Amino acid sequence: MHYVLRRLGFYLIAAWASLTLNFVIPRLAPGDPASAMFARFEGRIQPEAMAALRAVFGFTDAPWHVQYLTYLKHLMSGELGLSYAYYPSSVSEVIGTGLVWTVGLAGFAVIFSFALGSLLGVLAAWNRGGWLDSVVAPALAFLGAFPYFWLAMLALYLFGFGLGWFPLRHAYSHDVEPGWTLTFAADVARHAVLPAASIVVATLGSWMLSMRNTMVATLGTDTLRLAHAKGLPPRQVMLRYAARNALLPNVTGFGMALGFVLSGSLLTEIVFSYPGTGYLLILAVRNQDYPLMQGLFLVITLAVLAANFAVDLLCLWLDPRTRAHA
Amino acid sequence: MRDSIRRLFRHRKAAVGGSILLFFLVLALIGPWLVMDPSDLVGRPHQPPSGAHLFGTNGQGQDVLAQTVVGARETLAVGFAVGALVTLVGALIGVTAGYLGRRVDDALSLTTNVFLVIPGLPLAIVLGAYLPSGPLRMVAVLTVAGWAWNARVFRAEALSLRNRDFVAAAAVAGESRARIVARELLPNMASLLGSSFIGNTLYAVGAQVGLEFLGLGDVGSVTWGTNLYWAGNDAALLTRSWWIFVPTGVCIALVGFSLTLLSSAIDELTNPALKAPPAVAAITPVTSAAQAEPQPPGVVLSVRELCIDYATERGPSRVVDTVSFDIAPGEVFGLAGESGSGKSTIGYGLLRLLPPAARISQGRILFDGTDVTALDEEALRAFRWAKVSMVFQSAMSALNPVLTLGEQFHDTLAAHGRTTRAASYARARELLAMVGLSPELVRAWPHQLSGGMRQRVGIALALALEPKLVVMDEPTTALDVVVQKELLQRVLELKARLGFAVLFITHDLPLLLALSDRVGVLQGGKLVEVDTAARLRTDARHPYTRLLLSSFPHLNADDATGPTSNVSLAAPERPPALAALSGGHR
Repeated sequence: MHYVLRRLGFYLIAAWASLTLNFVIPRLAPGDPASAMFARFEGRIQPEAMAALRAVFGFTDAPWHVQYLTYLKHLMSGELGLSYAYYPSSVSEVIGTGLVWTVGLAGFAVIFSFALGSLLGVLAAWNRGGWLDSVVAPALAFLGAFPYFWLAMLALYLFGFGLGWFPLRHAYSHDVEPGWTLTFAADVARHAVLPAASIVVATLGSWMLSMRNTMVATLGTDTLRLAHAKGLPPRQVMLRYAARNALLPNVTGFGMALGFVLSGSLLTEIVFSYPGTGYLLILAVRNQDYPLMQGLFLVITLAVLAANFAVDLLCLWLDPRTRAHA
Repeated sequence: MRDSIRRLFRHRKAAVGGSILLFFLVLALIGPWLVMDPSDLVGRPHQPPSGAHLFGTNGQGQDVLAQTVVGARETLAVGFAVGALVTLVGALIGVTAGYLGRRVDDALSLTTNVFLVIPGLPLAIVLGAYLPSGPLRMVAVLTVAGWAWNARVFRAEALSLRNRDFVAAAAVAGESRARIVARELLPNMASLLGSSFIGNTLYAVGAQVGLEFLGLGDVGSVTWGTNLYWAGNDAALLTRSWWIFVPTGVCIALVGFSLTLLSSAIDELTNPALKAPPAVAAITPVTSAAQAEPQPPGVVLSVRELCIDYATERGPSRVVDTVSFDIAPGEVFGLAGESGSGKSTIGYGLLRLLPPAARISQGRILFDGTDVTALDEEALRAFRWAKVSMVFQSAMSALNPVLTLGEQFHDTLAAHGRTTRAASYARARELLAMVGLSPELVRAWPHQLSGGMRQRVGIALALALEPKLVVMDEPTTALDVVVQKELLQRVLELKARLGFAVLFITHDLPLLLALSDRVGVLQGGKLVEVDTAARLRTDARHPYTRLLLSSFPHLNADDATGPTSNVSLAAPERPPALAALSGGHR
């Protein structure tokens, strides 16, 4: 329990740090940040609405610590201001719709890629020097050197525009009614194939390589030597003794790489006009929609923190030694 | 240092990665003078590759080849600048935290970890949106978003170096902290600095291209990222103009791949375990008359002219050289020799547990009439543990840390015949009690046990299938004297009760003489003398045996009367005379 509380405390601090960054960054900008931030709203909304919007970001005439408190107070009530690009929707509404798609797409692709990559890494290390180790691993490493979004462009070009196997953009067709129906689910799945596949292809190699390397190190340990000496069946040695132990550092690494991988998948969304947070992010950038941009930064950061906490819990479940200190 | 750089060049991955990178560096330097101005509108937009425009034209009607070549310059310049800056910032913060420790470390580590979990791209976007445009903005944004990982790596390295002797010596000599960091710590991190710089450059190129693709770079400049930004904006996909985005993407991937190759080459050079072991040469075994003889009665194990070779970079090296000995049922046979004499290799060889680089090149191992060297995979698996089991020197780390003891007993029992989990656990309780542990430990994990307890578990595990021979490889070396004594007493009691034979391997000759019926002395892979313990004590013939005996200070006849004699069990420090002996080291 102690361990869980300590990790939770850490993520609270990290969350507070990102809230504070969100407050500080606009104030670092040269000139008058508030007017830069809200310039595009001028003439579009009522002066009172403008004052309210400024208050959300703490841009009042009060001293900075009062501004900071005002900002925190608005945040606590979930108030992220108005989106310029989606005016008159509020930022929280806009992000809410995008988050579902991102969590669905990136969540699935990243977990699938990690699981498959780890399995390939286990097999590559077990049959060291085999075709998986000497052909597939370098090939995937080469693919991993391409930017995610570039692979997405290529996939879209080949399988979308070229062969016409998959839809070109969006998360579902406009002539399909959203709802809990099989038709809708199939349509969503068809739209997700290319973006998900490009994320998987871009990340698979790195998971495979890191699992392979920890596996190789594990295979040289006395734990493995004892397992072989005991005459255990090879498959059991590979999975229950080697892979199970090699998995632990990789799960930790998975947690740390999450933010990075998520960043890549946000860019992938843009290529497919997939209506997730990544697509919103570029809309915010192109429209200079600062409230939306900052709201997205916050929400994405909090989501990554939550995912990291989940990974910590997973480690706890996987490793009795961590549990002992918990 | 110069040597490690030379090795780097000889490394295949490093050579390929280095050449690709060099090509792009030269391209970035002189390429822009060789091609036309990338911003010139040279023809119709979206023209496919032709003689006039090798890579075609883009959506604006500009030459794609020129755009790609010129784009290399700023992309690589920013990439390397950010790579260096991130390395520098990370190293400074990490080393400061790791070396100063305490409060400074707490504060810096917390900051580092917070920045590590905050996703980089959204942070970079928000930062980038507020800063004035230009290449400096890119450098600043990427450094802020990317320094944390490096700081973490360098902190860990500084922590491990801080406790090393040479740093302590410098501190004792009164050198200032700043001087220790600059003169002692940083030079020892040269390879880490190198691989971090490469890794950070890789990050910088990728992140820069991503941000520029989003339109957060200077869209007026020509870089690989802005090329892709314009490709997206000018509907390269819609117009089926693959030539607009493919060359740039391939260049980015090649640069990225070359950096990956370089960093993986550095990893392999600093961590040899990752490198594939040298191939073992095929040998045609010669069966001599002595090897072909059937096993004599009254002997459980016969080792006949056993040779074990290790493959090395310079060809095979013989570690065990024509070793022959027999072990009778219930006998304790001791194998003595200093480190590198091949004694553990013989132990592993009996179970054919040699590492991939080693192989039995000659000789036979006969156990109860079966030739162990001729067993196939499945027969070997059945043979292991059921006939010959083993207690490792490192039983502490040999148990699987993620399984309870009961599970590890169950796996062992189940691998050699069908058994239920309940039956296995009952047997495990019995075995644990037999070695003097609480049966309730079946539910415990290895980390909950002390070193001595784990070694007992190792013995209990070795007896699980009632083998006829137990190989004990320095089973007590890592334990303190009292625990060592108790444990050996227990082994001898169990041996008397269960009747298994023991092959006891250690460098501690006095201990062996006290414990064994017969002892073999190994020097440089050769068995130089085999005799009964009683005779060896007083009447050793080989000079090496005599040297070994004389180098243990307190040995006299009185100490060697019983198996648990205090003096003989207290392994003294190995004197330098032993290590200096020729032929002992390999």
